[in-house]
Amino acid sequence: MKKDMANAIAVETRQVGKKFGSVTALDGIDIRVGSGEFVALMGASGSGKTTLMNILTCLDTASSGEVWLDGVNAATLDEEGRREFRARHIGLVFQQFHLIPYLNALENVMLAQHYHSVVDQPSARAALELVGMEHRLEHLPSQLSGGEQQRVCIARALVNRPPIIFADEPTGNLDEENENRVLDIFEKLHAQGHTIVMVTHNPVLGHRAERIVYLQHGRIVDAPEAISATARQTNGSRAFAMAASESARP
Amino acid sequence: MILRMLRQSWRRNPRRKLLSIATVFLAASLLSALMLVSIDIGDQMAREMKSYGANILMLPAEQAALPSLGDGEDNPLAGQSSLDESELPNIMDIFWRNNIAGFAPLLSGEVKLDDGLAVKVVGTFFDKRLTVPDEDDYHTGQRTISPFWHVQGEWPDDEKDEALAGSALARAHGWRAGMELTVGGAPLRIAGLLTSGGEEEDALVVPLRLAQQWLDMPGKIQAVRVSALTVPENDLSKRALRDPDSLDAETYDLWYCTAYVSSIAHQLEEAVSGSIARPIWQVAASEGVIIEKIQSLLIMATCAALLAAAMGIASLMTSVLMERSREIGLMKALGAHDWQASLLFYAEAILGSLAGGLLGCLAGWGLARVIGWQLFDEPLRFSWIVAPCVLLISVFIAVAGTWFPARRIARLYPVEVLHGRA
Repeated sequence: MKKDMANAIAVETRQVGKKFGSVTALDGIDIRVGSGEFVALMGASGSGKTTLMNILTCLDTASSGEVWLDGVNAATLDEEGRREFRARHIGLVFQQFHLIPYLNALENVMLAQHYHSVVDQPSARAALELVGMEHRLEHLPSQLSGGEQQRVCIARALVNRPPIIFADEPTGNLDEENENRVLDIFEKLHAQGHTIVMVTHNPVLGHRAERIVYLQHGRIVDAPEAISATARQTNGSRAFAMAASESARP
Repeated sequence: MILRMLRQSWRRNPRRKLLSIATVFLAASLLSALMLVSIDIGDQMAREMKSYGANILMLPAEQAALPSLGDGEDNPLAGQSSLDESELPNIMDIFWRNNIAGFAPLLSGEVKLDDGLAVKVVGTFFDKRLTVPDEDDYHTGQRTISPFWHVQGEWPDDEKDEALAGSALARAHGWRAGMELTVGGAPLRIAGLLTSGGEEEDALVVPLRLAQQWLDMPGKIQAVRVSALTVPENDLSKRALRDPDSLDAETYDLWYCTAYVSSIAHQLEEAVSGSIARPIWQVAASEGVIIEKIQSLLIMATCAALLAAAMGIASLMTSVLMERSREIGLMKALGAHDWQASLLFYAEAILGSLAGGLLGCLAGWGLARVIGWQLFDEPLRFSWIVAPCVLLISVFIAVAGTWFPARRIARLYPVEVLHGRA
């Protein structure tokens, strides 16, 4: 199952398609993400970026094509195989954080360890320290701000040291200050060699990534068309301006 | 980690758990009360049914074989053969002695009063103190076994020359309570007038020793009425009644050690020499049928309560599942097996059921006491077997109620719940 180029390529899709009944959500997607790369998947609502993200994170399956993750073809895995793959190889960051409301920050991070292997409290603390949450270990999600909850979510994604971190609209529910803090963390993780794939519809965020992949109507498209559509949807002149300037890049 | 999750879930999110405990608590209260009532109702009802009178009649063996026994089955007055009064304490020495509510001997005949009037007399115990094994102050007689006897005036004292005049006899001769008759030159005070609905209303009912003296039958009796607490008859007891010798050793022991009216009658025959003991079926059978029907009714009510509780838990767990579907989706997204996600809910349900079951046991006991006071003027006894039974059943209904929601957990796709599509 292992590919020869597993060391160089973290994520690769080959002609991935996804249909929901008669609706084609993804059509012939080919993506390659190198190990240690920070890539943003961008597109307007309905472009298929979340569908692609679900397939890449093994939460869903493709209707056709191959999905190579860390050297394993996820398209050949059954449900149990995908469950185990998620636990061992993937770190997930959600837009809505999805923290267990009755567990404190530390326990929420330890939960990922529990389903991965064994609970190791010092490692969980270290993951929270990495995202600057060492002072909020005992706080419940309801006692944390949105930015703090997202940092706990990132710590949970990191704690098992997965080869790839997938983030789905990680700042979608945050204000600008917290948005920047979260992106700073991603950049720090990228600098440390983590592979990060981030879905966003916000061009400002997308341009903090190393590379952007644009999706439109379930297909990968060239930047200018997609970014203009995305920019039109994005509130705020700052985002629009940055998107426009980026689209002009060679 | 699962224990930590359980602890934190209970500590920080107690609302749903309290609701689940309350559901099990209500079911367990009802269940334990019904079980306690079911267990004790047999004895309580049997005691109540003693108002129907004796349910076993002991006769001399020779007399019992006769085709006709005088005025009725329970008044075998005509025979020559008799039983010894001295053997009566043996009745309280049989295996089922604690189930003997009381007994009263009978000796009947005709006596001429000093004024020349011939009257039927019945000698018996009214409330006689007897020396019996293992009991210091044992009293027995008609006051115990014939609560339906209505006495206008006073009950006679067994040690005095007093009598009850049957109401028909008293009416015929103008006798009143407190009057004195003379028999053999000795005064006999009429302590009260008796209405029994039976043949005693035409007789003079006197202490046994007076009847023995007047009929010149010292130490003799002709019959014994026994009131015993029994369990409803079944095929085994009927087979044993027909022919105890047809039972094998094990079945015989089972029959002998069960308080069937037939096995108690058999033991009474063994205790009093030359006697034959016959169940008075119109009393014994109706007691059994009524108790059996009441117990069936209680069992049905208990099953209905169980079903209602299981459905309540299932409904509650389904709503909990809907509420916590994202939590389940997250666990599965992080790599939890289906059983790991289900285990948390099963464990929560079992803990809730144990707490609810335990509280329900206590409340059920209280409820059973109230029912006992209301129906029988005394609290029902607490049977310890009810506690583990109710706890086990509580856990069972919680697990059964969680089973359907748990199957839904297994079918839940994390991608759907995490994106709010389920």
